[in-house]
Amino acid sequence: MLRYVLRRIVLTVPVIAGILLISFLLTHVSGDPTDLILPPDTPDEARALFREKHGLDRPIWVQFYVFSLHALQGDFGNSLRFHEPAVKLVTDRLGATTELAMAAMALAIAVGIPAGVVAAYRRNTAADVAIRAVSLFGQAVPSFYLGIVAILVFAVWLGWLPSGGRGTLAHLALPAITLALGLVALIARTTRSCMLDVLNQDYVRTARAKGLGEAPVVWVHALRNAFIPVLTVIGLQVGFLLGGVVVTETVFSWPGVGRLAVQAIYARDFPVVQAVVFFFALIFVIVNLIVDLLYAVLDPRIGYR
Amino acid sequence: MIRSLRSVALAAIVSAAAIGSAPAETLVVAQNFDPQTLWPNGTTASDNLNAGSAIVEALFWVDPDGEEFKPLLAESYELEDNTTVLVRLRPGVRFTNGEPMDADAVVHSFNVFIDPAKTPAYARVSDPFQSVEKVDDLTVRMRLKYPFPPIRLALSQLYIVPPGYWNEVGLEAYGQRPIGTGPFMFDSWARDDRLEMVVNPDYWGTLPEGIDRIVWRPVPDDISRAAGLTTGEYHIAANLAVASALDVERQDGLKLVAVPSYRIYQVILSSLPEHASPLLDKRVRQALNHAVDKQAIIDNLLFGYGVPLRGQVLREPQLGFNPDLEDYAYDPDRARALLAEAGHPDGFEITFKFPSGRYAQDREVSEAVAGMLAEVGVRTNMVVLEPGEFLRQLRAKELQPMAFVGLAPQDDPDLQVSQYHSSWRYAYLNNPELDALIDAGKQEMDVEKRAQIYRDAMTLMYDEAPIIFLYGGVDFFGTSARVENFHARGDGRFFFYDVALR
Repeated sequence: MLRYVLRRIVLTVPVIAGILLISFLLTHVSGDPTDLILPPDTPDEARALFREKHGLDRPIWVQFYVFSLHALQGDFGNSLRFHEPAVKLVTDRLGATTELAMAAMALAIAVGIPAGVVAAYRRNTAADVAIRAVSLFGQAVPSFYLGIVAILVFAVWLGWLPSGGRGTLAHLALPAITLALGLVALIARTTRSCMLDVLNQDYVRTARAKGLGEAPVVWVHALRNAFIPVLTVIGLQVGFLLGGVVVTETVFSWPGVGRLAVQAIYARDFPVVQAVVFFFALIFVIVNLIVDLLYAVLDPRIGYR
Repeated sequence: MIRSLRSVALAAIVSAAAIGSAPAETLVVAQNFDPQTLWPNGTTASDNLNAGSAIVEALFWVDPDGEEFKPLLAESYELEDNTTVLVRLRPGVRFTNGEPMDADAVVHSFNVFIDPAKTPAYARVSDPFQSVEKVDDLTVRMRLKYPFPPIRLALSQLYIVPPGYWNEVGLEAYGQRPIGTGPFMFDSWARDDRLEMVVNPDYWGTLPEGIDRIVWRPVPDDISRAAGLTTGEYHIAANLAVASALDVERQDGLKLVAVPSYRIYQVILSSLPEHASPLLDKRVRQALNHAVDKQAIIDNLLFGYGVPLRGQVLREPQLGFNPDLEDYAYDPDRARALLAEAGHPDGFEITFKFPSGRYAQDREVSEAVAGMLAEVGVRTNMVVLEPGEFLRQLRAKELQPMAFVGLAPQDDPDLQVSQYHSSWRYAYLNNPELDALIDAGKQEMDVEKRAQIYRDAMTLMYDEAPIIFLYGGVDFFGTSARVENFHARGDGRFFFYDVALR
């Protein structure tokens, strides 16, 4: 078990290094931050000083070498726009993003799993059709559109919730729901199809035969066995969540990492882009490692060597 | 508790100054982005400057209401000769940490301002300055390297910082926690969420009425910004999209402030020989100007919120604007005739580059232009560019042979027209006659002679048609109806000097 964890962690290193290399190349070949940060009529001498100060005048492979050397020590350099270390800009905003992502994930699990179970148990009834229809809608509507509609309805027309910003639970409600909706749909659909498989299994019939009530049969025996694929989906959807916060944070003025990432990409603020990519990749890898370890908890037949 | 006591005390001071007004309260301003620095000479982005200059003040300012040049920390300036400027400072002004605002502070700030390593974004206007000397406590003499007619523009961008505090904390920390002479003082800053300022009770001038605190909220999404204005969460929302602006205009309790911007939208028609295309022929460039129905674009795509250009790149109140010029009339037949005369009776095919997401309605306008050109036989291959790549190509002279751009230089005819000088980094023409006029205007200190030079340059540019003259942009600000006397400038700048919240 420990060996397995260690091996997985070691394997993480080349994955993250590869991701950093790709994002480094993509941002560096697609535009020059000097053009985006300084006004277009800046004289050449001032531009040259700016480029020299930030090391942009060096060949790209030298820049990558210097970047890698510092990155190994946890230093991604100073932001080109904020004059602050890129890592600090990210870590300062990580709390806000975590709050939003966790709220969305909790909401998605709390709604998605029961909905999936109900849909499977009462398959082909009105409840099942309704849940499937809502799921389809949830997955099909883009979150930026959903977010704007939510603002218009709940903030402008009804006046129940603020239109953006962070602070109270009321501020969290709209962005969390917007971010959760796509996930709810996916979790509900996955739960439904796994439950359908499980409900026909022999051990479910045995449980009923030995006189257990319907509720323990469905919610304990069946759900526990249906849960592994659902857990896999949840783990993989952390990537979806991290992508989703980029849009949701912008629409709801949420002071998180996603919004920082958008602005950094538009300005080709290389150090910040790299730091965001690094943290997002790390979170994704760690969450999926945890998910893999949870399999063994849920299903004792699974072991790790 | 302490905070509320303090606001009560401040409110008392403010209402004492303005007899009969309601108790002061917090003004909330939503802009697109959180400032990166509050030191106004740190960047030229208006989101930064609007917030920063509520705390840190310049020697002079250009009032958005009427675009008048007015003294601020200086009382006056005089040109001793073409390259020497004597500036007299306002007496009795102190920074909020107690340091005096005097000749020493100006000398210090001047030396920071002219160092392109520290103020790269201001290099264009700080370049003419050579040196400064203290004459007495309230007078400084600035020397220029060469005569610089837009001297007022430069003086309005030199922000004065307290030398003691600056030297103690350094440039970067100063921008995170500035100390100045302005009507407001830094209070707190939760990055990307809210920046708070409190009123400066010892302010040397008149404080805005009814405001004891300003909260700046960064709201990147256009629709969210407008929504927060409607719900009353913000008193001022900057940079509204045209659709939101129309909405704000219809609502009771809100005001729309529509400001003609300094941004001039145009289609580059490269006449550089290395960019071989039919555009090398002047008649073709004129034909394309006749082929585009600019008024239809303004009416239909911009809902009437665009300013016709009158066949030139200078704006109506600007020095050098030529009132005798009228734009090329929309006349597809004339366009076809000119094309035939130039040897293209069946039109031709050409690459047309445009950005998506850089300017308001950039894609829609570019597609409309392409459609109109197709009517006269000019078939365009549309190339859409991401804004970052678009700016790279602009400076690398790769936006050729044809491209849609909106150029927003600072408010001076030289800074506008220099963009068409053959030596300019992104000039897509080489016309020695125009170069000569631009060079002459650059050094002419006599205002009337200077105006005549630019009028001549406009006539020449009209005839040469190096661009399709499209329209001047309009910026939209929404405010609560309770906000009075709010004005913004064509470069997105606004101030609180005469603003009142009632």
